Amino acid sequence: MKGFQSQELTRIIDIDRKLCKGCDSCKAFCPSEAIEGKYGAVHRVDNEKCIFCGQCLVNCPFGVPQDTVDAVDQVISKLRDKQATVVGTIAPAVRVAIGEEFGMEPGSLVTEKLYGALKQAGFKVLDTNFTADQTIMEEGMELIGKIRHFALGEQAEHVGPLPQFTSCCPAWIRYAELYCPELLPHMSSAKSPMMMAGPLTKTYGAAEVWKVKPEDIFMVGIMPCTAKKFEASRPEFNSAARYWQTQGRSGDYPDIDVVLTTRDLAELFRRLNVDFETVAEFSDKDNPLAQYSGAGTIFGNTGGVMEAALRTAYFVITGTELDVLEFTPVRGLQGVKEASVTMKDAKTGKEVTLKVAVAHGIKQNVKPLLDEVKAGTSPYHFIEVMNCPGGCVNGGGQPINPMGTSWLDKAKAVLPWS
Amino acid sequence: MSHHDEHSPRVLKHPLISRLFHWGLIFGFLPAALTGFFIWLKPFGEDLQNLIMQIHIVGACILTISCILYTIFGLDRIVAFVRRIFTWDKRDTAWMLVFGGYPQKMLLGKTIPVPPMGKMNSGQKQMGIMMLFGGIILIVTGWSLYAFLPVAPKAVMYWFDMLHLVIGIFLGLCLFAHIFLGVYNWGEFLCMFGDGTQPLHEAEHHNPVWVANEIEPVKGDQTVRPGSQQAG
Amino acid sequence: MARYDYVEKAVKVSRREFLGIVGVAGAILWTGAYVATDLVHDRNKYIKMRAQGIYKDDKKSKVRQSHNNQAVTDMYKKFAHNPLSHLAEELFHTKYVNRTRLV
Repeated sequence: MKGFQSQELTRIIDIDRKLCKGCDSCKAFCPSEAIEGKYGAVHRVDNEKCIFCGQCLVNCPFGVPQDTVDAVDQVISKLRDKQATVVGTIAPAVRVAIGEEFGMEPGSLVTEKLYGALKQAGFKVLDTNFTADQTIMEEGMELIGKIRHFALGEQAEHVGPLPQFTSCCPAWIRYAELYCPELLPHMSSAKSPMMMAGPLTKTYGAAEVWKVKPEDIFMVGIMPCTAKKFEASRPEFNSAARYWQTQGRSGDYPDIDVVLTTRDLAELFRRLNVDFETVAEFSDKDNPLAQYSGAGTIFGNTGGVMEAALRTAYFVITGTELDVLEFTPVRGLQGVKEASVTMKDAKTGKEVTLKVAVAHGIKQNVKPLLDEVKAGTSPYHFIEVMNCPGGCVNGGGQPINPMGTSWLDKAKAVLPWS
Repeated sequence: MSHHDEHSPRVLKHPLISRLFHWGLIFGFLPAALTGFFIWLKPFGEDLQNLIMQIHIVGACILTISCILYTIFGLDRIVAFVRRIFTWDKRDTAWMLVFGGYPQKMLLGKTIPVPPMGKMNSGQKQMGIMMLFGGIILIVTGWSLYAFLPVAPKAVMYWFDMLHLVIGIFLGLCLFAHIFLGVYNWGEFLCMFGDGTQPLHEAEHHNPVWVANEIEPVKGDQTVRPGSQQAG
Repeated sequence: MARYDYVEKAVKVSRREFLGIVGVAGAILWTGAYVATDLVHDRNKYIKMRAQGIYKDDKKSKVRQSHNNQAVTDMYKKFAHNPLSHLAEELFHTKYVNRTRLV
């Protein structure tokens, strides 16, 4: 199959031929036209085009697309393995949706219940919100370096071009790698928060926090996203093992061993008889790797990465904190949002206006922005791209909401024919 | 003797607008029902299934437009129809209990007495109720499924699809029964597919209550007798 | 030309009956349209509710900015030195793949 590195997963979403009605609903949500099959006939996924985002899965009224990568049993056996230290990293979007699998309202913030349930199941926790904060530091400093060079005239070496794209959405990454690789130099070099959590756990976590051998750690990503299963399988993501090799330890293992979606985690709790509704809450406040800022948690929403980055960029450039931390121009479900922040650089005294754009719902909204960047006419310094309409809170791995759909655009009649 | 023999009086049973609506159903509902079975079972390959679905939609369009036009131009027929299908009494119960005498006639060759019926017999009234409600539900659910899938709540679409399938299968089977009985009752067949008239004695046999209460002689002399001439 | 001697008596609908039919039909259609447009209008509600949950988590956090997360600062101090350090590049940064060139 074309477009895959060795060891990568090549199939995640599968359309059940016995159940598919050929209604073309999935095609209305697929950002990469990866679904084949004429109207009325059984459909199938073309894995060479699929970016594994799972939007077809969460929007099919008949529950036909299946997530074929099921690691629940594997995780359960590791949880029971006394030799293994199972660490779970939980994305921000999971804590406002997992309650839905147990009868709660969408948006119920159940972080402490989640921590308690994970503890009962036998997980240690490294909250992805911690590494989201870390991502802001890494990606923020990368961006500021480019801004200092391009907008403030400072010397810099090896600086990538502007605008910079965010790199935390693995569906977006695969989309860019497949459909506009010429834009890859614009992609932030920072890994996604989940992919930072893997190496951090198996280096700093192993040595400093839990004091276990890195090869005994089984790292589980707990994500609202099916594309994260693909991301974890990328062969270059064994940074922790390569680090330890330079320190004299042998062994090769991936940074993230397996990924569970929010739905998978709910299934794991059911199989382990963890009663989510009555489980004892746990704050894990003595665990440094479970501490996160508000900026880290908003990564789950469209505009959240941008808002978090602006809170820090403003401070780093001006030396003072923002008066109002809620950056409303980048919030909400509008397809493309833009904003600009004018700041006074503390170092040089010059004024710099940071122009940013936020796009979500790759299918409907990203193309004009990308065309501008390709043509060299983009007015932006920083562009956040999230594949899923609304951001990760509406990811392909989230609980399926029966009364909703991901269609953000104007309500209109779709009249499929062929 | 003229080639018309003795002129036996005829009654207009199905006016033109009703016959046209019936044709609309034949070109609309019938292909939709037939293709519907194959959409459900999906036995064929991709191109043929797509064509079948396209035929289904064209049939649905013809059905929907026929219903709209009939409502506009034949509202009095619809009112008469709805009044009839919801008028039931003891004779209908008795008719239903013997299935109108049809199985006995068809399978045993026996003619049994049945209670006197109006323009629609009890079986036809029941069919009318099922077709009226079932047809409306099929049209509403069908168009929702065709036009609004990405924006409609998924659970609603799931149940619409389930309703559309179950009612479609049921009415499809009823349709085959209707066609069979329509052919079996050849006089009715000729009436609906011809000029809508039936010999009065035939109507008296099947629909005595209607003949006795609901028809009247045509006003003025609208018939043309062969060989007759106007006076003066 | 069709030849017939008898015809059905004309259908009579009283004004009251007619208004009743139109009234009921209108009520059903109006209610249906109202419910349908409401359902379609609320199709993204679950996304907004989840997003509100996230913003609630932000508002109630003691620390609101990434650069003020002490645990992250500690990690850099004890381990990765500073953002974009050599170790940070090794562990926390990556390169991308032009998949159009992959066979």
